[in-house]
Amino acid sequence: MSRNLFLSITNIVKYLERMFLTNAAPPAPALAYIVQPHSDPHNSSFSLRELIGDGILWAVPKHRRSVEKRLNRKFGHPDYVWKPLKEKRNLRSCLQCGNDHEMGVLCPHCYAKVRDETQLMQDKIQAQLGLEPIEQEVIVLYEGETTATTEEQQGKRIVEMKKPRPMWFTKNLLQKSTQQSSNEIKPTNLG
Amino acid sequence: MYKVIRQMTQLKLQAPLLTSAPAASAANLLAFPQQTTTTQNVHTAATGGLCAKWNKNNHGPRKWLEYNKTVHPPQETNEEPRKAYLCHMRSNIKYSPDKMWYIAAFVRGMSVDEALKQLNFVLKKGATDVKETILEAQQMAVERHNVEYKSNLWIAESFVGKGRVFKGMRRHARGRFGRVEYKHCHYFLRLEEGEPPQHYYMPEPQTPQQQYEHWVEQMRSRKVINSL
Repeated sequence: MSRNLFLSITNIVKYLERMFLTNAAPPAPALAYIVQPHSDPHNSSFSLRELIGDGILWAVPKHRRSVEKRLNRKFGHPDYVWKPLKEKRNLRSCLQCGNDHEMGVLCPHCYAKVRDETQLMQDKIQAQLGLEPIEQEVIVLYEGETTATTEEQQGKRIVEMKKPRPMWFTKNLLQKSTQQSSNEIKPTNLG
Repeated sequence: MYKVIRQMTQLKLQAPLLTSAPAASAANLLAFPQQTTTTQNVHTAATGGLCAKWNKNNHGPRKWLEYNKTVHPPQETNEEPRKAYLCHMRSNIKYSPDKMWYIAAFVRGMSVDEALKQLNFVLKKGATDVKETILEAQQMAVERHNVEYKSNLWIAESFVGKGRVFKGMRRHARGRFGRVEYKHCHYFLRLEEGEPPQHYYMPEPQTPQQQYEHWVEQMRSRKVINSL
């Protein structure tokens, strides 16, 4: 699999052949060749480490894994890290949409609905007004809506959305909580 | 060929389930058509190692679904009516069987509604496949297996098997190479009609009263040997 492995094995085989097969007769077609004095293969200090290199450990298991170790790996420990999944008891159904969500978290379905609508409004505003700094307020109107008075229209820029107003988007949601405005929307005028 | 048919049936089963899921922005989509950029995924099940072209002899597990075909003999009038059951599976899910085991063990012994609710909040890749399998099985149970109420089901058996494993190589430092295994798993499910049991695994944990009674019984059954 690795180039080092293959080379190491071939080296071992060659070394062993040199060690143990020197007694055999030379090969039959014995052509005249110059015997070169080669280095003595029988080194007095023979080390496997030089031969095989760093791969001597080979990353194999030394002992069989006991059943306790195996179970610890699979299950963990109930006091520290419990690996099997635990049932969640903090799930509640959303009163508006009926889907489940974790307790203490905004219902993701309702939030996604609001986020999508906000994204549409923002895209429309950006398309119409561009990226200029907004010094005046922006009013977003849906299909079939008009602003109450022309005085409001003077200081503000109007963006019209070509879709009907969603049922859940009441008029009081865009009121500013920090500023007291004269035309506060009463609960009777939400729709 | 069979893989293609199975994929088509899965798509058909999933399509009504997916359309019936509550879409938060459905109204918005209808009124305001968005420009959805469809990114075509080149690496699909139809083009990869699991495609029909390369899998003429790899059909996957078939025995589990045979249990659905058993015809039981008619019951006597005084016998309790046999509980309806349904075996379903999904093969070659691209997920490790060891990791899928946690989800399968989690869902065992739960009622179907509870399992689906809990699986929504399991942050694991296999949870979506298990959830889809349970929904498919629930639908099949109501349509084909004479189950009256789709909520009156519980998960009697839920386990995982090893699927196809494709081997690959990755390179490490210093000229070393490592082996990569692309694992798949099969998920098997059996739904049964009725209320789920209080304790799925036997033996049930005993209450202190039961333990005491057991101990008293043991003590009283002692005998002094070679006595009168």
